[in-house]
Amino acid sequence: MPSKLQALTRAFRGYGLPVGCVVLSIVGAQLVQPYGHLADLAMIHLLGIVFLSLRSSVRTSVIASVVSIFAFDFFFISPKFALAWSDAESIVTFIAMVVVAAVVSKLSENLRRQEQAARATATRTQALYELNVELSSSRDAAELAAVTARHVGKLFGGPATVLLQTAEGALEPAESARDRTLSQSAWSRREFVKQGAPSGTAIWVPVVGAHSSLGAVGLRPKIPFEQDSEQGFMLSACVSQLATALERVQLAGAVRRTQLEAEGERLRSSLLSAVSHDLKTPLATMIAAGAALIGRTGEIEPKAADDVLRSLVSEGERLSRLIHNLLSVSRLESSTVELRRTPESVDDIVLSAVERFNDRSRKTPIVSEIAPDLPLISAEPVLLEQVLVNLLENATRYSGSDSSIFVHARAAGGAVLVQVEDNGPGIAEHEREKVFEKFYRGQHAPKSDGGVGLGLTICRSIIRAHGGKIGVRERSGGGTLVEFTVPFAAAREQLSREASLDS
Amino acid sequence: MNRSLLLVVEDDPEMRSVVSFTLRNYGYDVREAATGAEALSQIQTRTPDAMVLDLGLPDIDGFVVTACVRQEHEFPIIVLSARGEEQHQVRALDSGANDYVTKPFREGELMARIRAALRRPVPVAERRDLNVGDLRIDSTQRRVFVRGKEVTLTRTEFDLLDTLARNADRVVTHRQILRAVWGAEHVDEVHYLRVYIKLLRTKIEQDPARPTRILTTLGVGYRLVSSESIS
Repeated sequence: MPSKLQALTRAFRGYGLPVGCVVLSIVGAQLVQPYGHLADLAMIHLLGIVFLSLRSSVRTSVIASVVSIFAFDFFFISPKFALAWSDAESIVTFIAMVVVAAVVSKLSENLRRQEQAARATATRTQALYELNVELSSSRDAAELAAVTARHVGKLFGGPATVLLQTAEGALEPAESARDRTLSQSAWSRREFVKQGAPSGTAIWVPVVGAHSSLGAVGLRPKIPFEQDSEQGFMLSACVSQLATALERVQLAGAVRRTQLEAEGERLRSSLLSAVSHDLKTPLATMIAAGAALIGRTGEIEPKAADDVLRSLVSEGERLSRLIHNLLSVSRLESSTVELRRTPESVDDIVLSAVERFNDRSRKTPIVSEIAPDLPLISAEPVLLEQVLVNLLENATRYSGSDSSIFVHARAAGGAVLVQVEDNGPGIAEHEREKVFEKFYRGQHAPKSDGGVGLGLTICRSIIRAHGGKIGVRERSGGGTLVEFTVPFAAAREQLSREASLDS
Repeated sequence: MNRSLLLVVEDDPEMRSVVSFTLRNYGYDVREAATGAEALSQIQTRTPDAMVLDLGLPDIDGFVVTACVRQEHEFPIIVLSARGEEQHQVRALDSGANDYVTKPFREGELMARIRAALRRPVPVAERRDLNVGDLRIDSTQRRVFVRGKEVTLTRTEFDLLDTLARNADRVVTHRQILRAVWGAEHVDEVHYLRVYIKLLRTKIEQDPARPTRILTTLGVGYRLVSSESIS
């Protein structure tokens, strides 16, 4: 029922005002009739017409004025209650009334149109401004696309889609087959495409940049419009803002890539200089040692020969470690690295690391303390062992030979927390981040110990790959504390004894 | 004295000569091969007592060589591989190699592995007492003694220890242990192993926190140490 009522109201809405004005003029003239002249009554009718003309179209005003004239003739000019034209004077009045109605309504219509245009301009400026603000704070193309889709959708009251050109130079495919065809044609021909359908009119416009078509914007507006309409201009303004923003982002990306390349170049050259020095030194020693022994094994006393051979072996081992570190860095930093994770016990990894470390140098005693019954962790064990060995090596390198190194492991949240402590000189606060950078060596680093500043870089890459964290703190009582976390394995890999069907 | 014949398969001539030199110093007879094909033909002419095999050969993949040899021969294969390639070691062991040594290696380590490999593992069929250092395993009665004192093990713990003991001094891979103890369908359940190794250590190690009998080789497997190689 309400819908019928609404339909009825809508049908009569346009007639209410003119009918009301005419009726009121008649009623007003009736009231004034006993006191005024016929001209006064005509003025009342004119007032009604002017009032109506201010608010209605020219057509309505003219029709209403003619109706009003007939009503005036019918009710007030004698013979009353009959349509008769007698004197020329009243005909002039009638013509004047029609002309006034036409002129006033035309003028007010122009005014209204201007006001509407001004309001539309304001709205459009506001919308474009908002879009611009959001676009300029977006960092990547996907975000720009999302922002534009949201704004355009809101502006035109229908769902909007933004498709971008892919890296391969094609347009992203739209969801439906119809939109795919339309978006393709808008994008490749760079033109406004509009297609009506029962499901709604679809409009696609290309996003054209300075050099190429950057994408396409699709829209199902609530009210369909043409390219050269007010809305059409609005849409193209939005889209051209998107184009500018996209080009800005692309340019920023290119700049960043260039910076990265330059950075990579810088790293490569520092790697080259560090590595060439550190590879050459042990090699030179080895070659010299070997050459010294050739053809003289009989002459040199065994003790001296042993010394030469020992230095040959230790230099070789140093070289081997360096190469291993370099290979680790390149493996860990290549984007294809994939961890081979298995459930591992922390005890095994710590023990293994301590043992491997002791094989190399038994100078410094290591005190390890591992919390009992730690859950298994999910890790590639050899990599974690590498982390610990690197940390232990750093610890001995910087702490006095008669002091101990402490290794603690305990549960902290959903991860194991491992701490390696030494009582060396410690790391200054401003260096605590830097020590993890490639080829950075702390201020206390000995000059010629075969280190190149990769140990902690490797540690950080490994721990991050495991989804853990690593950091340096000051140890209470002096020295350095390096700690890292590695998440525990999933619950189904934490097997209790009862669960394994033992007897 | 019956000298064992070792076949050294290594493509790098320097490395090959160093390995051969070391082995000869220890009193072994040594033959050399530079490629996989050469190795296979040498084996056909005369079967060695053990083979030291480099995985990175120019012609045939070391894993393939291992698999080919295993179709006909039982002699031990010790694989040489670069450190940081644990998955290669595991693959080599799973495809039939007996042990591996990582490059760069120390002489003593290589010799210990060769000695251990030349002691044939006890076949499963021959159920009898196993003595691994001060550990005695009575396979028929399923009883275990540490320094003459009996310890009680559950069925799984016993099977685990038995598997390691029959391969004493060699790394047994996770998959090998899991297949032997839990069955082929559980070869990937490494966490079973972690739990049971821990339980077993608390029963047979003097200090379970610092094991000396069952040693872990990270990423590869476990090794039961007989006292003679603890030196």
